[in-house]
Amino acid sequence: MRVSNKMIFDTAQQNLFNLTEELNRANQVVAAQKKILRLSDDPVGLTQVLSMRSGLSHVAQMERNIGLGKNWLAASESAQTQIQNLISDTKALCVQMSSGNVGTANRRSAAAIVENNLKEIVALANSQLEGRYIFSGTNTETEAFTIDGNNDVTYNGNNTPFTIKVGRDASLEIGRDGEAVFQPSGAGAGDDLFVVMKNLIDSLQGNDIGGIQTAMTDLDTCFEHISGEIADVGSKMIRVETKETILSDMDISTRERLSLIEEPEITEAIMELKAKEVAYQAALAATSKVLQLSIVNYM
Amino acid sequence: MAGGIGLVLSIAKDALAAQQYGIYVSGHNISNVNTEGYSKQSAVHEAKRPAPFGGVILGRGVDTTQVTRASDQIIENRVFSETSDLHSYESMANYMIALEAMFNENSDTSVSNLIGDFWNRWQDIANNPSGTAERIALYEHSKLLTDGLNTLDTDLEQMKTDLTKAIEAGVERINEITTEIGNLNNEIAGLEIDASANDLRDQRNVLCAELAEYVDMKIFEQSNGSFSITSARGVVLVDGKDGYDLQLDGSAVEWIGSGGNEVDITNEITKGKLGGFLEMRDEVVDQYKANLTELASEFIWAVNEQHSVGVGLNSLSSATGSYRVSDTGEELGTADSGLTYYEEISDGNIELVVYDSAGAVSNTATIAIDADPGGTTLTALQTALDGVANISASITADNALRIDGDGAHTFAFSGDSSGVLAALGVNTFFTGSTAGSMDVNDTFASDKDFIAAAQIDTATGEFATGDNTNALAIAELQYNSRTISEWSYNRDPSIGNTEGSVTGTIEEYYHSLVGALGIKASSVERSVSFSKTMLHELKTMRESISSVSLDEEMTQLMQYQHAYAAAAKLLSTSDEMLQTLLAAK
Repeated sequence: MRVSNKMIFDTAQQNLFNLTEELNRANQVVAAQKKILRLSDDPVGLTQVLSMRSGLSHVAQMERNIGLGKNWLAASESAQTQIQNLISDTKALCVQMSSGNVGTANRRSAAAIVENNLKEIVALANSQLEGRYIFSGTNTETEAFTIDGNNDVTYNGNNTPFTIKVGRDASLEIGRDGEAVFQPSGAGAGDDLFVVMKNLIDSLQGNDIGGIQTAMTDLDTCFEHISGEIADVGSKMIRVETKETILSDMDISTRERLSLIEEPEITEAIMELKAKEVAYQAALAATSKVLQLSIVNYM
Repeated sequence: MAGGIGLVLSIAKDALAAQQYGIYVSGHNISNVNTEGYSKQSAVHEAKRPAPFGGVILGRGVDTTQVTRASDQIIENRVFSETSDLHSYESMANYMIALEAMFNENSDTSVSNLIGDFWNRWQDIANNPSGTAERIALYEHSKLLTDGLNTLDTDLEQMKTDLTKAIEAGVERINEITTEIGNLNNEIAGLEIDASANDLRDQRNVLCAELAEYVDMKIFEQSNGSFSITSARGVVLVDGKDGYDLQLDGSAVEWIGSGGNEVDITNEITKGKLGGFLEMRDEVVDQYKANLTELASEFIWAVNEQHSVGVGLNSLSSATGSYRVSDTGEELGTADSGLTYYEEISDGNIELVVYDSAGAVSNTATIAIDADPGGTTLTALQTALDGVANISASITADNALRIDGDGAHTFAFSGDSSGVLAALGVNTFFTGSTAGSMDVNDTFASDKDFIAAAQIDTATGEFATGDNTNALAIAELQYNSRTISEWSYNRDPSIGNTEGSVTGTIEEYYHSLVGALGIKASSVERSVSFSKTMLHELKTMRESISSVSLDEEMTQLMQYQHAYAAAAKLLSTSDEMLQTLLAAK
């Protein structure tokens, strides 16, 4: 083929352009530490990256939700455990006071202790987290229980437990319907902790041993119920902790997959850059040599 | 005998002239070694017609009959057509880069991050429904999201304007080129009565190459050497000395015929920069704009539908719809109502709860909606709402629904199975219906308490501020698979724009939109690089035939130089011969 000067120059120019373009790209990959610099670099990979990123953002949100849930559950567990202790203290007092040897004055003072315990229990049932009542159902702004001068306790919350999301298909009740916890069969029923306590106070004040004994049995029922509630919180805690582990595993594996698609293998990228550099230098050297050749040099 | 020496002298003179022509032509070639589109010329030497002399037929020396041009118009034409291809892809690729930058997904403020975070903000509210900070965060974030989509839409519109401007500039240049080609046609036809107008032909080819950069075209050479050029599936751009103009009418490209008749050829231009710009504007950008609007529309509807049946920290004392009807007497569920989301309305009931000044439930109401023709009109709905005790309803001057509580009464919605509330924009989160018009309801700018995180307990009509049911339901929308329209635009009128649909979550739809953009961009890029290689090959073929080789010219120069020296020698020899003859006495 006849080779003209223009062909030599054009081809040299085109080759150098191509090489600088490749060199530039290899350099960008190393500098940015990203394989996908533009959407068109790897559209399929990019779509995967996008869904992985939104997955990561979702995981992060769920981890936040779980963090909140754990706080609530811990607060709820601690309040209920303390209430349980108060119940067993009260029960121990009952055992003492149900004995015939105890005098009226002692029962009176015991009544004062129980009344204090009741107030303590109400205060615990009104536990707040970040200003929200955890035993008020979704009425979190309203004090769960109020106690009047007659030691009558009223529930002000509602019966919808406060629920959050801890996973795409997983909800978790973190706030409780106070009624269900402390008055499982409804206000005034035999297992209404507050009524049992109030009755006990009345019995102690009225020297009613029968009443004290009834209260002992009722306290047992309440104790059992609260134990069940504590166990429930415990199992929820285990559930969210498992969930948390799964989420953090998911987070790590997603990040790994993301970096596989998104990030270049550094040695590979640098080798690539070096290779392009060498190719470019060779092309420059060859081009400058070829372009110098001319018959004029020999005339 | 003297006639014999005279012949030698004459041969010597012609030979000198011929070699000089050769050196002229070589010089011309050498000077034009870097001239774009120049074709190597060569002087054609021919032996003169011989004449009988003294019983023999003697040759009479050399004659330069013509100067030819090394050119193959077929290859030139292939170069033109590949040039059109390359420039259409290249012009698209340039805008593609800008388009990719708009949908940049490598930043935290990318729309897909904003959408993902939007759901997360609702989760935050679900975690703390009564918290003010969470509500402010949601509001601000939603503003970012709507701004993000608005900006995308504006940028796409701006790109269309830029493309139209680029097309206008292209049209102007095309008109200049076609006029010049017409002039050259005229000159060439005039000159070629005598001999080939080499340099003018080269100039014309350069102009044709530039024309090919702008539009796809076909060249037909006439017998008089002038070119007829057609483009865009048949309209004539140049015929002999006449160039036909194109013009831009709004966004359409028109061809102006000799009688001044205008023909719209917008969709007929397939290649060249113009073809690339048009494809970019009318197919690529328009398609993304349409699909972005489908996404926004579905997103707005999904959130509004759920939001409209929720309740904030306080019940409403007044609510005005953000969507207007064009005719209050038309059924809301039909297109005649002029309601953007009329199709979403179905038969169902609006459940309303009215509260007294103390916040206690005072009365409830159920209003039935008939979505079919002959069903509920805005006027009918307003009358029905107005009939509910303790609230009044009216239609605003711009045909939106307005509900007010009487005195200190407030109200809230506990349910809406018809979708009318969301379609009228009552108690909704977003306003607008496209990517460009989408915004967060103004109500929240001043009072975030109306962000509806809670739902009303249908049994009691009451609601708790710590209730997060509606916030959870809205956050749940991120998992919902929906059927969303997806447009595919095509400039070819026989195919046109077609509406398909994809089923997936809102985020998935956006991801596929971005993915499709990446695929389009990479396919354009591949076409550019393929077309570049092709053009390079074709140009190499062209250069191989037509362009100047300095080595070749230098050898030719030497060749002519030697021949010139020999011819001069011939001249001096015949001179000596004459001297000798004259000296013989």
